[in-house]
Amino acid sequence: MSLRTLIVLNILGALLLSIASMAAAYFFMHDQLIALFPNAAQAKAIETLQLLLIQYAAITAAASTVITGICFLVLSRYLIRPLQAMVRGIEAFADRSERIDLTEFAHAPKEVAELARVFNDFTIKVEDAHARDVEVSRMKSDFISTAAHQFRTPLTGIRWALEALEKETLTESQMALVTSAKDKSHQLVNIVGTLLDISAIESGKHKYTFAPVDIEALTHAVAKDFGELAERTKVSLFYVPPENPLPLARADAEQVKWILNNIIENAVRYTPPGGSVRVMLESGVDRVFVHVRDTGIGIKPEDRGNIFERFYRAENAVAKENGGNGLGLYIARTIATDHGGDLNFEPNKEGPGTTFTLSLPVVS
Amino acid sequence: MSDTKFILVVEDDPVLKNLLGHTFAGKYQTLYASDGNEAIALFENNKPAVVLLDLMLPTMDGFAVLENIRSRTDELKNVPVIIVSNLGQQKDMEKAKALGANDYLVKAEVAVEEIVAKIEAQIAEKPAA
Repeated sequence: MSLRTLIVLNILGALLLSIASMAAAYFFMHDQLIALFPNAAQAKAIETLQLLLIQYAAITAAASTVITGICFLVLSRYLIRPLQAMVRGIEAFADRSERIDLTEFAHAPKEVAELARVFNDFTIKVEDAHARDVEVSRMKSDFISTAAHQFRTPLTGIRWALEALEKETLTESQMALVTSAKDKSHQLVNIVGTLLDISAIESGKHKYTFAPVDIEALTHAVAKDFGELAERTKVSLFYVPPENPLPLARADAEQVKWILNNIIENAVRYTPPGGSVRVMLESGVDRVFVHVRDTGIGIKPEDRGNIFERFYRAENAVAKENGGNGLGLYIARTIATDHGGDLNFEPNKEGPGTTFTLSLPVVS
Repeated sequence: MSDTKFILVVEDDPVLKNLLGHTFAGKYQTLYASDGNEAIALFENNKPAVVLLDLMLPTMDGFAVLENIRSRTDELKNVPVIIVSNLGQQKDMEKAKALGANDYLVKAEVAVEEIVAKIEAQIAEKPAA
């Protein structure tokens, strides 16, 4: 029930009450008058008095109607309108972080003006906190890119020196040592590259090139790329084409490929030998979906809220030494949401394992 | 036409410079510059076939060197320039491409042999003078 309805009901109640009391007074007086003036000669006077009484009642009723009408207008002007303006202001702040000045209620009741002032202070605090967050995030991103660059220069030296060493005549065991060192230096180079990607994507510095993308072809190609890994780990990898051709998605093909690489690789790696991974496509309203369903070790309920966090690795994932640095899903989801899509997962309803679902908007 | 081409390598880190030299030995005649000003001077005097250009350099950074080369009016204006830097963010790559870099390699992410392949690709692409 709105405040306006409440006021109207209140006023109508008051009006009814005043009319009713007038009516009661009239009937009471009417009988009393007859009792007071039993004499027939005085009948004329009674009639006049009665008429006066009716007029009095009517005027009072009319006057109270007018007064209540004015009351309504005044209440509406000084209470309802400021409150409505406040609601709009709160909505604007909540929806678009837009601040509307709410301190201009000079005529509003003290309580409403106070509420506006408190809300105003609150929005200033929220904005300050947000600005600080943005600044901290920017500093962190800058730090990561500088640090990453500083790491890369010595890493380049190690890498190139090992590559040169590899070309020399080496014994088998020397070669094995050089190869291990080279592999590890590549791993480090990849970590640094990933850190840089994250800092760019997280700070919003990454510029996407959105274009119509054939998700079906892209997914099929990525699934094929993992055929070899799946065979080696004895996992059956299936690509299931969609029932109907998929509409084109609005996406950055390189970035989507990155997500697909990540979720399909994870699925294959976390599925024990003999298990299967199914890559399925589906179209929905304004969306295309890529489902990657594995029969792997699954994600424990206590890990479910965290797997999209940076550097988070579920306990069973760490124990299995499946590689990875705990950044993949975090970046993958960020890329998906930057597209206006999402990346999510659900434990399989039947049997063990997990299904990851990537959704992307279709070309409008 | 001589068989060995002149390559100008602009690299300020002595270790990386030596490693590149090790790889290029016997393949190219190599000139080295360790800062931007030296790079410009060597470029003018030696007319290299390809320039390998780092971006973070003393005196004048790689972007400025590239800009300088591309703003020339003689035939040296179009000498292929391959950026070989550890700056590898999208904005750096876009900036270098916009200034007229022919290729962009992130040092840590390529094997030295890949650099040779990129140099060969640029030499092959260049129309015979």
